[in-house]
Amino acid sequence: MKPNLTTQSENTWCPGCPNFMILESIKQTLTKLIESGEQKQTDFAITTDIGCHAKIFDYLNLSGIYCLHGRALPTAIGMKLGNPNLKVLTFAGDGAVYAEGISHFIHAFKYNADMTLILHDNQSFSLTTGQPTPTSQQGYTSKSQSLGVFDKPMNPIKLALASNATFIARTNARDIPHMVEIFTKAIAHKGFSFVEVIQDCLIFNLDANNKDKQMYKIKDNTNKQNAEKLADEFDYNSKSGKIPLGIIYQSKEPTLEEKWPQLKELLNKKTLWKEK
Amino acid sequence: MRLNIIIGGKAGQGINKVSEIVANTLNKYGYFTFNYRDYQSLIRGGHNFNTLSISDTQIESHEARADILVALDEWTIKVHKQALKKNGIIITAEQFKDEKQNLNVTLAGALIKILGIPLKELEQEIKSQFKKYEDALTSTKKGFKSQKRIHQLKKLDNNPSTLSGSQAIAIGAKNSGLDLYIAYPMTPATNVMNELAENQVKDKLMVFQAENEIAAANMALGASFAGTKTMTGTSGGGFDLMGEALSLQGISEIPLTVYLASRPGPGTGVPTYTAQSDLDIALRAGHGEFPRIVIAPGNSVEAIEKTSEALFLAEKFRTLSVILGDKHLAESEFSSIETSSKTPKSKIIRKIPGKNLVKNSSYEIDKFGNSTESYTLTKKNVEKRLAKYGTSKKFIEKKFEMIKIHGNKDSKTLIIGWGSTSGAIKDAIKDLDAKFLQILYMKPLSNQIKEEMEKADKIILVECNVTGQLGRLLREKTGIKIENRLLKYNGRPFHSDELKNSIEKIL
Repeated sequence: MKPNLTTQSENTWCPGCPNFMILESIKQTLTKLIESGEQKQTDFAITTDIGCHAKIFDYLNLSGIYCLHGRALPTAIGMKLGNPNLKVLTFAGDGAVYAEGISHFIHAFKYNADMTLILHDNQSFSLTTGQPTPTSQQGYTSKSQSLGVFDKPMNPIKLALASNATFIARTNARDIPHMVEIFTKAIAHKGFSFVEVIQDCLIFNLDANNKDKQMYKIKDNTNKQNAEKLADEFDYNSKSGKIPLGIIYQSKEPTLEEKWPQLKELLNKKTLWKEK
Repeated sequence: MRLNIIIGGKAGQGINKVSEIVANTLNKYGYFTFNYRDYQSLIRGGHNFNTLSISDTQIESHEARADILVALDEWTIKVHKQALKKNGIIITAEQFKDEKQNLNVTLAGALIKILGIPLKELEQEIKSQFKKYEDALTSTKKGFKSQKRIHQLKKLDNNPSTLSGSQAIAIGAKNSGLDLYIAYPMTPATNVMNELAENQVKDKLMVFQAENEIAAANMALGASFAGTKTMTGTSGGGFDLMGEALSLQGISEIPLTVYLASRPGPGTGVPTYTAQSDLDIALRAGHGEFPRIVIAPGNSVEAIEKTSEALFLAEKFRTLSVILGDKHLAESEFSSIETSSKTPKSKIIRKIPGKNLVKNSSYEIDKFGNSTESYTLTKKNVEKRLAKYGTSKKFIEKKFEMIKIHGNKDSKTLIIGWGSTSGAIKDAIKDLDAKFLQILYMKPLSNQIKEEMEKADKIILVECNVTGQLGRLLREKTGIKIENRLLKYNGRPFHSDELKNSIEKIL
């Protein structure tokens, strides 16, 4: 059945914003899953954070919660505790997850709930007019940091690896086919899948834009040592160096739903808590 | 008839076991008990004590003056000697030092003899508690023989059962079909988490420890959204962290029940002691204006009932329910012959994801659940939330007990109190010409409160905080200022004998 994923809400992203391409990619990904009969439209539930990326909540005709800033991940994990049969997707930004909600990011890998985090990283808090985030490059000057960012950016891929991530991928917001491929693989992964989408902001932190020349595609990787090397290639700071795109690391570990006998039972019987 | 036993010693010496065994024996022998636990924030050493209060009628408090002092160390005698009544008895553990791990049952044997209860009553309790009880029975007998009979407790027909406030809240939650309890450990809320976790698979529920209180509250909202009955619990500091999620509850209208077990603040305060100083945050935490229900049970039976009501109302009105307790309610052990009222049937009939398309949001929404900045829709949504204050109050007035009147109902002296302080007030006024108005629903407030206040010649406010938070709330709602205030704020709950003296001075 052809799903209707479009809503009547007026789109308020800036003209030309890469968020439009991320939205298109997620629609294509879900359309395939629903058309093939693998999933129903109502099987999906999303959480979105606060920021430009989060407006996707209004543009996707899916169940979900438009969450508090920094809290899209715990809310999503709560949904999985509440119904392990839901297919849960979280959309969040670099500011939301790496600043306000960083503790949840680390613990999400530990719990390993079977869900997907799509992280829109434009290295800027754009909806609040361009303040730096933890992945902004050194020297980035904004109204709030008039002297420029002194600190080196954090590397979330390395943090994810250190947190025992079972799925880490990176994709490019200018490349719809690649996003569809990666989103599809992320949703299919059994466990917590983390997808970083490298995205330009056309209004703020322009220096961080146009990284396509540095990007190259890798084969799916399951080797931890290779993953560490790949994670080191891009430091979010320098203009030189390569940016690997694709599945940086994938492994198999018991999921949240498999570890807890109560959830496993709901999953196996495809039932709800209230039908227990 | 009323006796008080103080059992003191270092943490880890087993004072809880002594009071538990003796209380169980007494309950089966027909007596009512109340056990107050006073302990420090440490695992071994220091000074902890229990006050086990005994009566032939229902009691819900302990007294300051003791009849028997059981000292597991020297320090206990130093600290509590002054509390001992004239002719009071001291049992020292020193004389039984050879008993080692059986010291607690030896002391129980000594206590039972002093109370005048036959040894076989205690022996039955020991047999039910230990798998290998031969050595324990020998020690019990030794303790029993070491003392003289001082009191003559006759067997009574009552058959009270004992529960801590935390156990009662867990029972109330289970009665209502709780699915998930998601929390982060914090004294004195954690015991509810422990109670629910013990048999979680068999009980068909799940206890999940989140990475912090912010995560716990947001997870609880996510789980509730998915179609479950979910609760979270914490103390004041954790409740502060949950503030933003409470506000999200307000706008998203996802049902949420929060157990707030308060302790003295600000900051870390005295973390293992008690206070009623978080009424203000229970009523107001969270930005913006949104309806909520705040219920404060005063004993174990009320804790069962009010927990069920909180879960029921959260689901029915898609609102925030706060069960407001404190350390004194959570950790004191109440014996009672009352049975809790029938559990309101709480069914999830709202649309849930997986079956329907459901959108809830932290933004103001249009009819599809998508964000809006329209002034007409904003106003409409605000007014929809506002309407719940009235509809929920009307419903509660009809269905649930919002206040209770104790003591002499015709008295012109009105004492007002709430929560865990209610027990001491009830026991303090047993022989006085006074009426006690116990407030159970802190929000919404019953209209009867103003009527009662207007009828009284003298009103006395009793609370365990320094600013009289209930008094301020009542002044805001009724315009009546309560002049006589008995406020205790040293981290310890009221003793009923001490409170009786204070009330008599005002009368």
